[in-house]
Amino acid sequence: MNSFAQWLTKTSLSHTFRVQESWLVPGVQSIHIIGIAVIMGSLLMIALRVLGWAGTDQTLRQTTDRFGPWVMWALALQLVTGIVMIITEPARELVNFSFWTKMVFVAIGTTLAGIFLIGFPKHEQRWEALVKSRTFKSMVIVTFVLFLCIIVLGRLIAYDHIWGSWSPATQEY
Amino acid sequence: MPIDTFLKSVEATKFATAIRDSIWMFPIIESIHVICFTIVVGTIAVVDLRLLGLASTQRSFRRISSDVMKWTWGAFILAVATGLMMFSNNARVYYHNPFFRTKMILLVLAGVNVAVFELTAGRTSSSWDKAPSAPRIGKVVGVLSLAIWISVIFMGRLIGFTTHPGTVAPPTPGVNYEDFLGGPSSGGSNGNTSGGGTTTTPTPTPPNQ
Repeated sequence: MNSFAQWLTKTSLSHTFRVQESWLVPGVQSIHIIGIAVIMGSLLMIALRVLGWAGTDQTLRQTTDRFGPWVMWALALQLVTGIVMIITEPARELVNFSFWTKMVFVAIGTTLAGIFLIGFPKHEQRWEALVKSRTFKSMVIVTFVLFLCIIVLGRLIAYDHIWGSWSPATQEY
Repeated sequence: MPIDTFLKSVEATKFATAIRDSIWMFPIIESIHVICFTIVVGTIAVVDLRLLGLASTQRSFRRISSDVMKWTWGAFILAVATGLMMFSNNARVYYHNPFFRTKMILLVLAGVNVAVFELTAGRTSSSWDKAPSAPRIGKVVGVLSLAIWISVIFMGRLIGFTTHPGTVAPPTPGVNYEDFLGGPSSGGSNGNTSGGGTTTTPTPTPPNQ
């Protein structure tokens, strides 16, 4: 991964982005944060509806129709802005314990959210009993907590040294 | 400058010192701050889009608002609390940072915006509760709210890029930046530490990005 990061750093695209770094990095990071705000707000609304704590005047289907697409499109935005950040600062992201842990959480979190948001509208009847079950409710809470962890790990990319010897970044010094 | 004397005493509190002396406290407090304001912005946007008639148009405005706003306020209070914690750790640097000041002004404007709404369209919400969008003043409030909160995020992110050692920020007259550093600078910051923080974390010190 070190050599990939080095190669990526040397590409002309990475160089072009770095020339614009002073505004590009904070700008893209801010858009990335707006993206996660959209995701968190939408996931919260869906989770509260599943738990019956809010939006009970709506069916679960109405709630997922309202917020599901926002989650999916914002996730796509996160992918794009995330890739721009990696290209701009390959070593900061790719040689980083918090980053890779975050990616594991992203993989699990988006899979869980994706299965539900794509599967439920398609097979509403088949999911009907399931969405009322306690297991499903706990899965929704787990997914939401996974996204909370994703935010924490995302922020910790900037502070990877707190992981001590787990952080490849500390070994550079 | 009395304000700087006050801010210095804030920095000297046990709590602020504990944040500076810990390698994990600031990152964790900042992470909680991020979680809270993503909930604030994400849920406020739900209400704003409803005001504008762009989403949830078939639902009662007051129902959405009561569903959402308790979470917005809860998260906002936590965001303010964690924000104050971060501020205390490096009070004078934040106070003199232009992006921090802009962010604070924007937060005041967000409050004024809410007050305007409550005194106008909010008061008559029973009459347009089921309408697909709010009266014009409510739409203006919705647009301003979205614009203000997006700007708050940009400003907040820029604070992190302009308050770490090594950033060449113009020194503020009347502030002795040497006091911040508590001794000779630990290098790696091109010698110019004006605008630098009170970072006492073990070397290497990464920027607060």
